[in-house]
Amino acid sequence: MDVLDPTAEARPQSVSRAPRLAALHHRRIGLLSNGKIAVAPLFDQLEALLREAWTPAEVLRLTKGNYSAPAEPDVIRQLARCHLIVTGVGD
Amino acid sequence: MLSTTGLRSTRHDVEDEQAAQELCRAQGWTDGLPIVPPTPERVVACLDRAALPPDHVIGIEPVRARPITAEKAAINAVLAGCRPAHFPVVAAALEAMCRPEFLLHGATASTGGCAVLIVVNGPVRRELGMDATFNVLGNGDASAAVIGRAVRLVLRNVLDLQPGGLDRATLGHPGKFGYCLAEDEEGGDWTPLAQLRGAPSGASAVTVLAAGAPRQIMNEWTTAPEEILETFAAEMRANMLHYSIWGGNYAIVVPAQLRERLQDAGWSKPDVQQFLFERARVRACDWTRVGKRALVTAANRDEEHAALPSPADLLVVAAGGPAGGFGAVIPPWFGHKSRAVTAGIGVCFAC
Repeated sequence: MDVLDPTAEARPQSVSRAPRLAALHHRRIGLLSNGKIAVAPLFDQLEALLREAWTPAEVLRLTKGNYSAPAEPDVIRQLARCHLIVTGVGD
Repeated sequence: MLSTTGLRSTRHDVEDEQAAQELCRAQGWTDGLPIVPPTPERVVACLDRAALPPDHVIGIEPVRARPITAEKAAINAVLAGCRPAHFPVVAAALEAMCRPEFLLHGATASTGGCAVLIVVNGPVRRELGMDATFNVLGNGDASAAVIGRAVRLVLRNVLDLQPGGLDRATLGHPGKFGYCLAEDEEGGDWTPLAQLRGAPSGASAVTVLAAGAPRQIMNEWTTAPEEILETFAAEMRANMLHYSIWGGNYAIVVPAQLRERLQDAGWSKPDVQQFLFERARVRACDWTRVGKRALVTAANRDEEHAALPSPADLLVVAAGGPAGGFGAVIPPWFGHKSRAVTAGIGVCFAC
């Protein structure tokens, strides 16, 4: 007997990784919080470490309006200017 | 009648039904319970009943842009044990869940672990012989069981919401096997839920809600509507303090005994909504009584929070067995992030 496959099967197109950065000097770094409360101290510490180890051109701190939904278009536009993006969950 | 040649899904050739069970179990396509093998003939029968071609897109999960086609939905409906007559209800529930306000990705991937509550209204209940009385939130009705299960299997198989994969629920709850009930429209004079939410009178519809587990209440010691509803309000306040203070769509299920008390006193569903809108409120400082002192600040301590942003945010569902002064409060997944959605079965109310 034939049994039909219940999964989506059609997979999204695979995406390739962006080139890795060798150094973060003079780079723009984006830190995207999903809005959960524990992200803030995590990113405070991360930003301090980044600034201590490198000389980034900018550390951009952004927060989604709803942690269960995609980032707003304006947030995405701002992140698109960055060379490196870190996102945090904060549970 | 559609032809099985129009189906595009991969066909797995297995020896017999037992082998089909093993295949589905081994592939992780089930919730652990036995399945009905989704043969091409059974799947086409579902599609025929709903008059949907296999490639019809029932909805698109908005975050990952993943389509749910009628063919994939029907395969999972058969897996869950649906007969063809159940499939239009499953398709309507999925369509409702893909509306942006339902926030399908968040509601189904969240650590909060809610399930999709499905309330069925209209003539389709009678066509399916759905029982909205005894054990209505348990195993009281076979159609409710397979409709709810079908939705869960679509989430699991089509949207990859496997526990520990994209489904990050910390606990989940038993409703994740299936969380469907019909409303007891004949048991009293209350307006059906779907009709209150805009469906035409006499139309079949589903209402979906990203919902936590039911919290059972009991009050057999009064006939006064205000006292009966105060018990529901207390349970809603408890949920606000113990779980989430943020308001949203709550549902209450009112079985016959308490419902008769309310209806005998002339209380309509809007009356119930208004009462609970006013009474289901807490203050941030109430958190101190439940171990959440850390959340209370000088700035927020006197803030009042309402369980319901508006009276209409309460879904009042008439259902349950005839005896017992019980009821249930079904809380939202997380405040108003996800909104309840009502959709027609086989018909678009907004079109």
